[in-house]
Amino acid sequence: MAKAIRTVKTIVKDISEPLAGIKVLVLEDEDQWDLPPFRPGAHIDLHLGKKLVRTYSLCNAPHENSRYVLGVKKEDLGRGGSRFIHEGLEVGGRIDVSLPRGGMDFDQENMNIFVAGGIGITPFVSAIRHMENQSRANYVLYWSSNGPASIPEMIRPAIDAGRVHISDTRHDPFPDYAAIVSAHGQHSKVFCCGPEPMLRAFEQAVSSWPTERVHIERFSIAKPDIAGSDDTFKVVLSRSGREAVVEPGANIVHMLEELDADISFSCEGGICGACRTPWIEGPPVHNDRVLTPAEREKDVIVCVAGCAGPRLVLDA
Amino acid sequence: MTRTDSKDQFQGGVAWQGTVCFLHRTPRAFLPMRSFESLNLIAGRGIEGDRYLIENEAGFYSHKPEEGRQVTLFEMESLEAIMRDYAIELRPEEHRRNITVRGVPLNHLVFQRFRVGACLLEATRLSTPCRHIEEILGKPVFDPMIHRSGLNCRIIEGGEVRVGDIVRPC
Ligand code: FES
Repeated sequence: MAKAIRTVKTIVKDISEPLAGIKVLVLEDEDQWDLPPFRPGAHIDLHLGKKLVRTYSLCNAPHENSRYVLGVKKEDLGRGGSRFIHEGLEVGGRIDVSLPRGGMDFDQENMNIFVAGGIGITPFVSAIRHMENQSRANYVLYWSSNGPASIPEMIRPAIDAGRVHISDTRHDPFPDYAAIVSAHGQHSKVFCCGPEPMLRAFEQAVSSWPTERVHIERFSIAKPDIAGSDDTFKVVLSRSGREAVVEPGANIVHMLEELDADISFSCEGGICGACRTPWIEGPPVHNDRVLTPAEREKDVIVCVAGCAGPRLVLDA
Repeated sequence: MTRTDSKDQFQGGVAWQGTVCFLHRTPRAFLPMRSFESLNLIAGRGIEGDRYLIENEAGFYSHKPEEGRQVTLFEMESLEAIMRDYAIELRPEEHRRNITVRGVPLNHLVFQRFRVGACLLEATRLSTPCRHIEEILGKPVFDPMIHRSGLNCRIIEGGEVRVGDIVRPC
């Protein structure tokens, strides 16, 4: 089964290394067509190879809509994504990326407090560039790193305007998050991105804050197209014997494509009927708007299907 | 119903004449549609520079080549209805069809031929919305677009289509 195109094709336009171990990538469309829009602080998945998919924040401003800029720290003990980017990527190479997800909603009037740790600065670069572009000054950034700051030139106007506090934890005191967040009044909105221990310390410091005034940046998974089932089930293709586990909220269409199922998909929303398939074991949870009750006894519209039992066995 | 004088203006029992309001294309899946003052329609293939141009396909549905999807149309009136019924602003560059028209009863034109400017099109089937449009736009437009998602056509006679061109039966 030929697969639908599910990613945005980009070309590596530029790679720079402003600090040893930190690479800044610029991705563009091959014809410099605009890329799918994004919100300040959004992130994308980079498809670096089969099964090698990694999520990084965009660090350019949303109005620069014909490129995606990313800052990637080389993590020698990581799972291979940043190593691939640092060692295997070349200008002119192709990277497929997801649509951008996530982003930050700023407080329009009150102070927005950005707290970054190390390369966790990247979503705030996008946010600050966006705010500066809108001539908005109601933000402050506290950026600590275990070493020199990695990409300060990308926020130079904000630094020059005195809106950035940079610290190097090798000789400066570790940031006092409770003091930072209370310094700008209780109506401020706080945002944090950095390594996991820092996020936990920050969460503790804001534990009494109303949740709508706290944004902790942990990458969100892709929004599932369809809420098929609340429970995990196994989808089984009876003819090939292939099977896959469908987690709650997972996109069953993508999984069936991965299994090379001989099923066509079109609308992926349960209205066109293209993916109608006989089922053998289930019973399926039918979420389509196509089949009659009698038809559902035999067939299932797979793109929106869930399963009431542990196995959804399809005659495909 | 009384038949009108002009046979040219009579189709499906209703006389109509519309206009081209917007023209859009994009070269690859997921990239934003860009607005143009004119598009070049190539008979039997598609729109120059568009993702579904036959033999040069790079669209979401390119894994399912379809001869009848050389150009797609959408009604201005549907954009207005989605705003009225769902309070969702769907802009002409967001529905992801190529030609936005006003005054053209697209849902009644399946299997019929009609002219857009100097070009001759043949409607092949109604478009159905695709779930991935919600992912692209971040707007819940899948349901609102059901039954008003535009028309897929084959290009019988190609040429340049311009904003403001007349759309009429033939
Ligand atoms: S793909 Fe359209 S109903 Fe499943």
